[in-house]
Amino acid sequence: MAHRIIIDPVTRIEGHAKISIHMNDDGSVVDAEFHVVEFRGFEKFCEGRPLSEMPGITPRICGICPVSHLLASAKAGDDILAVQIPTPSDKLRRLMNLGQIIQSHALSFFHLSAPDFLGGWDTPPEQRNVFGLAARHPELARAGIRLRQFGQEVIEVLGGRKIHPAWAVPGGVRNCLTTDGQKRLKAWIPEAFATTQLALNLFKDILEKNSSELLLFGNFPSLFMGLVGPDGEWEHHGGKLRFKDSQGKIIADQLDPRRYAEWICEASNPNSYLKSPYFHRLGIEAGMYRVGPLARLNVCDSMGMPKADAELRQFKQLGVGAVTSSFLYHHARLIEILAAVEFIQAYLDDPDVFSNRLRADAGINNLHGVGASEAPRGTLFHDYTVDEDGILQKVNMIIATGQNNLAMNQTVKQIASHYLHGKEIPEPMLNRIEHGIRCYDPCLSCSTHAIGQMPLRIELLGPMGQVLNEVTRG
Amino acid sequence: MCLAVPGKIESIHGEEALTRMGRINFGGVIREASLAFVPEARQGDYVIVHVGCALSVIDEEEALQIFQYINAMRDDSVPGGP
Repeated sequence: MAHRIIIDPVTRIEGHAKISIHMNDDGSVVDAEFHVVEFRGFEKFCEGRPLSEMPGITPRICGICPVSHLLASAKAGDDILAVQIPTPSDKLRRLMNLGQIIQSHALSFFHLSAPDFLGGWDTPPEQRNVFGLAARHPELARAGIRLRQFGQEVIEVLGGRKIHPAWAVPGGVRNCLTTDGQKRLKAWIPEAFATTQLALNLFKDILEKNSSELLLFGNFPSLFMGLVGPDGEWEHHGGKLRFKDSQGKIIADQLDPRRYAEWICEASNPNSYLKSPYFHRLGIEAGMYRVGPLARLNVCDSMGMPKADAELRQFKQLGVGAVTSSFLYHHARLIEILAAVEFIQAYLDDPDVFSNRLRADAGINNLHGVGASEAPRGTLFHDYTVDEDGILQKVNMIIATGQNNLAMNQTVKQIASHYLHGKEIPEPMLNRIEHGIRCYDPCLSCSTHAIGQMPLRIELLGPMGQVLNEVTRG
Repeated sequence: MCLAVPGKIESIHGEEALTRMGRINFGGVIREASLAFVPEARQGDYVIVHVGCALSVIDEEEALQIFQYINAMRDDSVPGGP
């Protein structure tokens, strides 16, 4: 049933991440749902607008990962113009995406997640945040902030403005790198390597002490999806889709992301705006897949850079076939930061990034186009249909948080099954559910709540759907 | 996807860069947010906030542009649940 929704900014802020846990009569957990209130009115809002406006609009609305939307939007535009963009602009787009990966992963690791595993799982929520971290590990907190700043500076040096760079356009990019920008970014490289190495050492230490979290935080078989290069190397902007299963077997490879709809099916859930995508051929249960850092490292055969490749080899030892614990999303983020710093270092000495051959001009040559890019949180698709004048008729976006929704449900179910024995909701379970979800670094509409704390509402439901217990926090 | 709604910094407390906090006004709702990532932020600036951390400062013109888009979306109907 269609009904009218008021898009009030306040409701975007006030919302809680709602979790429903379905219980059996014997008190065992049957299922869990993490309701992401995904906002889909945006797609409708875009319809009727010219294609050329899209790279300017999408990053403004989706301001948590603006660069990812900018790049996916520009790529969908490339497809509609039916052009192959000049090599320099492809490299420049990649450079900006690497900056975005660093800034987003640094925030997630150092300031949203590290306070949990450094401060202790049962520390009160008000201390498991950037302040708790600043009090106990001020050097680490500062280093993390500076690493994020480096990522932001890569974006700023290219796009001019930090938050809404309408810099990538259908057909290419607007500006190349300047020698001044090159100098600014080069100065960061040694510190960026040092901070990433520090974090990697720290995380490996933590891993030994958190073996139970490793088994509990989303450790289950699933598929993994991500873009890979022609030789199976790590990709973040070009490449083709690969699906791998939890035994490490490639079940589909080199799929054209523009034909994503043939491989990915979106199930609608009547309780949520969110569609739950799954790998079509295997159905909704066996076809559940994860995206994002863990998935990208699982699907790829190499990182394409020496330091990151050495880390990837160690990482792959953490699983048999594939690495299946979502707790290792954190580890994967650090390896991706390392690769990003190595690639940035290489691009800064590549003559192409100073080239002025930046843009392919063309009119509307396809009425349908898809742009796929790896956002920090996972594969992002922008799918546009236009008329002969380039006016958008239909827009569909598939975002990472949506693709991870089935896996987040499974993660909540796993943690709840461990802690729930009857109707009581134990406090340690809340902290762990919060972290279990945080492993995926979801971009939540309700995310402006308390500092570093995820506002949660958990309800336990009996076999007939009756509410057995309920707790709200944050 | 989430909407990134800009909020205006009403006041700032704390001196130290790591622990500086802002009272942020989102269309009348006040939220506290860490300003650790935006050392350049000043009172009256607009910021984008994610999980209680101000991620970036945007100028007023940008903020007004975003509010205009959000207002335009108010009239759109979307199918779905609650």
